[in-house]
Amino acid sequence: MRELYLGVDVGSVSTNIVLVDEDINVISSQYIRTNGQPLETVKTGLKKLKKEFPVDGKIKGVGTTGSGRQLVGVMIGADVIKNEITAHATATIHFVPNVKTIFEIGGQDSKIIVVDNQMVTDFAMNTVCAAGTGSFLDHQSERLGIPIEEFGDKAMAADRDVRIAGRCTVFAESDMIAKQQFGFSKSEIIKGLCEALVRNYINNLGRGKKLEPPFVFQGGVAANKGIKAAFEKEINHEIIIPEHYNIMGALGSAILARDGNWNSQTETLFRGFEAADLEFVPSTFECEDCPNHCEVVEVRLDKKIVARWGDRCGKWTNSVNTVI
Amino acid sequence: MKVSFPYMGTTVVYKKLLEMLGHEVIMPPKPTQKTINLGVKYSPEFACFPLKVIMGSYFEAIDKGAEVIITSGGHGPCRAGFYERVHRRILEAEGHFVDFIVFDSMFRDRKTFIENVKRLKGKTPLHKVIHALWMVYDMIGKLDKLEMEVQRIRAYEVNRGETTRIWEHIQKMFDKAYTRGALRNAYDKGRKMLAAIELHSVEEENRIRIGIVGEIYVVMEDSINMKMEQLLNSLGAEVERSQYLSQWVTYNMLPKWINWSHEKHILKLSDPYLPIQIGGHAKQSVGQIVDYSRRGFDGVVHLMPFGCLPELVSQSIIPKINEDFGIPVLTISLDEQAGIANNQTRVEAFIDLVKSKHKERLSQGEKNINKSTQHVTTTG
Repeated sequence: MRELYLGVDVGSVSTNIVLVDEDINVISSQYIRTNGQPLETVKTGLKKLKKEFPVDGKIKGVGTTGSGRQLVGVMIGADVIKNEITAHATATIHFVPNVKTIFEIGGQDSKIIVVDNQMVTDFAMNTVCAAGTGSFLDHQSERLGIPIEEFGDKAMAADRDVRIAGRCTVFAESDMIAKQQFGFSKSEIIKGLCEALVRNYINNLGRGKKLEPPFVFQGGVAANKGIKAAFEKEINHEIIIPEHYNIMGALGSAILARDGNWNSQTETLFRGFEAADLEFVPSTFECEDCPNHCEVVEVRLDKKIVARWGDRCGKWTNSVNTVI
Repeated sequence: MKVSFPYMGTTVVYKKLLEMLGHEVIMPPKPTQKTINLGVKYSPEFACFPLKVIMGSYFEAIDKGAEVIITSGGHGPCRAGFYERVHRRILEAEGHFVDFIVFDSMFRDRKTFIENVKRLKGKTPLHKVIHALWMVYDMIGKLDKLEMEVQRIRAYEVNRGETTRIWEHIQKMFDKAYTRGALRNAYDKGRKMLAAIELHSVEEENRIRIGIVGEIYVVMEDSINMKMEQLLNSLGAEVERSQYLSQWVTYNMLPKWINWSHEKHILKLSDPYLPIQIGGHAKQSVGQIVDYSRRGFDGVVHLMPFGCLPELVSQSIIPKINEDFGIPVLTISLDEQAGIANNQTRVEAFIDLVKSKHKERLSQGEKNINKSTQHVTTTG
């Protein structure tokens, strides 16, 4: 029998599900667009995973992370529910043990994590400014009519440098149009955009931090060669992109599930692949007890309330006995 | 007079004092989304968050019948000193002509201070005023002691929410106490109730302690700081706040020559980093981070209103303090946003960081103790 661990990263743009063995070898991984429906997405993922599940496998532990970690954690029965900063760092430290700086750029947010001696010592997360995240590139690719997948190669093919203001997407956009009218090619514009994103990212998140090599770059945007090149140009050092760069969050939560379970004989809380067939009904109601009017989320399984959150006073959260 | 005041922290204290001076107290409701919406609607867009929330509180208090508003002033370059002017103008523009009584430190403008006191005193005989002052001073001290205990034990409570519930009950008991005897009873009973709370046992060396520093309003008023103390407690960390009312009173009301308050010590600690007063609580924040480092705290959460100039300065000094002491600091800037998911992630990750650092410190043992004393000697 092989002991396996499941890691689920429910982000705002994509949901990743990975299945790993004890030594964190990836056995199966799913990358699905969340489309605003975390529960449905995870269900689809679980169904697919079931087909690829090894006959002699047994799930020993489950971890969830990402913005939907609570909801999905309740649904599938997670042993560890961890924030994405810790999850990402855990995975990176596993694959690149001597890492000192982690750049992570996802669809809706981006992070810098500073590591010393395999321990997170500092971090910053940007969730306000779109100019330093993947959605910035997505938006510009639409505008230029070039699919995002081709962005990297296009950027690499540029002959000249063009500087595009990266402070804010609004400035970047008007600057980009101006530079197009100056006669710069699409490739050059794309290269300029990549460099603008990196400049913005470093200025926003790297402020006041000591960034030392080895540098690791992960997250969906790491697929873009243009960004990697821009990073290397900006910090003047080689950048490592790990093999599983786009599923690091899920891998991290699988590692956390393994390490949390290592010495104990406790059974996993995993509900099994049948969880995909269980009827989880999340609903919300507005609490009228004070003028805060909190929107309370309630999750029911077979008409029984299994979790509640969203209230500021904790009255509803504390009324259900679940560990979240 | 029908009096009211900004809602901040343990409000039973101000209520009690004003009641004992014979005023009818209009309690502003604890700030909620409605308060914030009101405040944001009527305040200048670029004003700081506390101004907006307090603005909302005033509207709610006036709605309940308040005629006079009592507030504190401020000095130095921070905008807080102009709050009363701005609030008054906005209220007047909306057709509310209320009176303001603004208290500054009595050593700056003795005349106004005495006038203010006279107005509040009204016809209350002097011995009653002295009794009320003593009583309230005693009450603040007792409440602060209990609250410190709450912030410590809530980290280990077995039944989630129990400590907070009891703490709210204790405040109500204090609210009903009008004699020194009743106060002592409330205090003893409160201590017993807290002692009876069932706790997880955690070894002394595994305890995590976090200090909260920053601008006074966002530090003291939990309805607008994501209930930071409760959040940190729920993640298993003991919490100490940089500001307690009793300390504030001691510092601001005692004359300089007998003023040996904690705050004075804090201000001294900040001198190497920020030698001058730049307004607000920047100097205190810096000094407190140093103080927490020296006292062996595991981390500091630094709260500031979005765009607060003094705290932006202290934020920029933090990397330097970090270099000297190595204490992790998380800065969170607060504004009117209701979604807390991102800050929740930051706080959770911060506690993970602090915990692993704590573990490392334990395993390094003596080596580290030597190192940290070295730091103290080089900077002190």
